[in-house]
Amino acid sequence: MNARTPRQWMVTHEWMIKPMAQVEWIEGKGLLVWLAEVFSALGTGLYLVAIFFSQSHPLAAFWGGLLGWIGIAVFKLPLHLAYLGKPWRFWRSFPPFSNAWKTSWFARGIVFTMIFLGFGVVQLVLQGIIAYGATAGAGVDAANWIFMILAGVFCVLTAVYCGFAMSYCKSVPFWNTGLLPFVFLIMGVADGLALIMGVGMVTGQELIGTAESVTRILLIVNALLIITYLINANYQSTTAELSVKELVRGHVAWVFWLGIVLLGILVPLVISVVSYFTEQEASTGLLIFAICCHTVGAFSLKYGVLKVGIYRPILPKAHAY
Amino acid sequence: MRWGMVIDLAKCTRCHACVAACRIEHFLPLRVTWPRLIALETDNGYDVDVSTYPVRCNQCKDAPCVDACPTQASYKREDGIVAIDHDKCFGCRYCVIACPYQNRTYLSRKRNPNYFPEHAQTRFEKMGKKLYPHQVGTTEKCNFCHERIDAGREKDLKPGIDRDATPACVNTCQPRALTFGDLDDPNSNVSKLIREKSGFVLHSEYGTEPSVYYIDYKLGGNPSNKAPVEAQTGSHIQHLSTVYAPSKPKLAKKNAD
Repeated sequence: MNARTPRQWMVTHEWMIKPMAQVEWIEGKGLLVWLAEVFSALGTGLYLVAIFFSQSHPLAAFWGGLLGWIGIAVFKLPLHLAYLGKPWRFWRSFPPFSNAWKTSWFARGIVFTMIFLGFGVVQLVLQGIIAYGATAGAGVDAANWIFMILAGVFCVLTAVYCGFAMSYCKSVPFWNTGLLPFVFLIMGVADGLALIMGVGMVTGQELIGTAESVTRILLIVNALLIITYLINANYQSTTAELSVKELVRGHVAWVFWLGIVLLGILVPLVISVVSYFTEQEASTGLLIFAICCHTVGAFSLKYGVLKVGIYRPILPKAHAY
Repeated sequence: MRWGMVIDLAKCTRCHACVAACRIEHFLPLRVTWPRLIALETDNGYDVDVSTYPVRCNQCKDAPCVDACPTQASYKREDGIVAIDHDKCFGCRYCVIACPYQNRTYLSRKRNPNYFPEHAQTRFEKMGKKLYPHQVGTTEKCNFCHERIDAGREKDLKPGIDRDATPACVNTCQPRALTFGDLDDPNSNVSKLIREKSGFVLHSEYGTEPSVYYIDYKLGGNPSNKAPVEAQTGSHIQHLSTVYAPSKPKLAKKNAD
């Protein structure tokens, strides 16, 4: 507000005239949404990568899948519930109590998550039998495939729904793009690949080479996707441009440059590329460092995107925004 | 039938009576305001022009908040009013973010203290909690006083014409800047105003088809959307003095004289 106009009675509505950042999903209790979405990305990413390794590395796939499932069931859902104003009314978003899934991405997300958890637990039991049971037959293998596909599909949907829920908001032009769900999905899978390397180290299964080669590609794809997303937002509207400026040069620039770019993409990419050219797998310490960097990147990406979600002003005079 | 409102910005005197009327009608919690008067400053190089815009829920025909609601607590009535079933709302605040007009408020404990925090509740507050209970942990917004409309129509009263069936803010508006009526009726007062005075909606590009229209002579090429001189009573001018802050001290002195 203009310093020359000390008008206390209007100050509360300043946010409708100027582009102001949303706070509901990132400040105070809103931080729970951020954490829930990070665990959503890490959990779904890890589970998806785990089922990718289910045939070649069944033990790592079992533990990776289990950790991913736990990330969703034990962290994401309870954090989302804790955020709600009336958590005990959670069931109201489920069919048959509500048909909101037909229009609401939030309701769809809850349905996708519950179905994923259902299929996922069955698949993990079967994967556990395959990984540890000596008597696993063709029937178990076939059932595992079926549940792997079902759980995998709903895992992807769980991973992308948050992006679609955000991209639905016309009020926040920075989010209002179809690219967002795919940025979240690709970053989640890249984080999952990093985490599965950790699981591989613990279980003693050698999947680091394969994981690193996929990570290299995904990190490059993700970097290009983020750049495209930011360029797209920059040209989309003045408010979205402001969000980009906030992210790249504003008060959350350190999150972008340090968290997303340096730790989330560059450091893991450099470690991965160096190991490719030296034709030697990175040392355990370096891998653990890369995994930590990836995880910091996941936290930073969601924080940055949520934090710079700026509302478009509603007044016609401020229409330029 | 689709209830709508026309707000004539040239007639609005920034008296805040609509805001107060709504607060009384719905016993609003201390830090929640359904209709708002928002100020827009334009520096004309000489001093600062302050224009105020009364805003409230636009009761959109294609309401993003209704589609976004994961519990169907937000729903559209047959008469076009977007209402909230507070017993269904679980407080996810998705509608607060999805509303392109930012007209929804999440009622947290912080927004619902006693009117005099260090003291016990007033009789007004106690009565309000019984007559119009607000649920902490749910989302709120203007509902076009649908309780008044429903009660009035049961008595064969016409919303927008009969006071007992008309939203409280419209009733209380002294300069008659607010007009209420049926948008689907081409002969209704609101349809005529929109047609004859080039009514417009906020952010029509969203395609939400709001039911709140604005008339603004300034935007329509007319000289000013400031309050008309005849509406500037002594108290109004005094009130304006708290908001009018010329950048030039000489001008301020001249105005004061």
